[in-house]
Amino acid sequence: MDLGLDVKERNGWAVLSVQGEVDVYTAPQFREQLIQLVDQGQRQILVDLEGVEFLDSTGLGVLVGGLKRVRSHDGDLALVCTQRRILKVLEITGLTKVFTIHDSVDAAVGGDGQG
Amino acid sequence: MDCVVELEIPARPEFVGIARMAVGALAGIRPGLAYERIDDLRIVVSEACTSAIEGLAGGGVLRVRCVDGPKSLEVRIQAPGSAFESAFPINEPDPEADNFRISLIRALVDDADLRSSGDHTELCLVMRREAASEEDGEGALPA
Repeated sequence: MDLGLDVKERNGWAVLSVQGEVDVYTAPQFREQLIQLVDQGQRQILVDLEGVEFLDSTGLGVLVGGLKRVRSHDGDLALVCTQRRILKVLEITGLTKVFTIHDSVDAAVGGDGQG
Repeated sequence: MDCVVELEIPARPEFVGIARMAVGALAGIRPGLAYERIDDLRIVVSEACTSAIEGLAGGGVLRVRCVDGPKSLEVRIQAPGSAFESAFPINEPDPEADNFRISLIRALVDDADLRSSGDHTELCLVMRREAASEEDGEGALPA
């Protein structure tokens, strides 16, 4: 089971696209990537969950940990998610009130849809 | 008639996906569980296995026993010792993840019950099937 992680820069945001299943096996890669981004000085991080096929509490813990880490540097971490199955998990755990959730990367970064 | 499927996996993170996949596939054989509820069950199985793995730390074997009946699907996940402690927070190595885990387990299955025996603990999860409707065709995966 592979986890795809891809980082691009868009309008000052580091956009981390996640693909595959996020669980206890793959979450360490995800966590490490977020830590690396913050350590590199990224303060505006957008996690694109549109390619995520499965997410459990381990993945939620990684997202919350990332948010805390970047906020401790006066930054922010937002999400892109329109998938009902992922939104349901965020709703049950109350995290829809914690994260800003966008419908698309373009909507989040205010871009023109290119690149 | 009830169908029983049993699976044993090493209590290691890389095997959680196998338990999830097997239970999800079984849940779709009979009608009465919509796709969304099967997704819910996959999440709860993942939560339960993860909890046991964290509790065991040193490894071991998880036994996943599914009893699939016309009215409900019961999934029993059995682990040695008191491996499910983190699912029911006696101690909390990662309070955030554990709170999320409890919320998800409570919200996504119809019943969740922890049973303790001499040398093992067992988390019993129940999903009740809705009465099948010929019109909606919802629930079962294609044969």
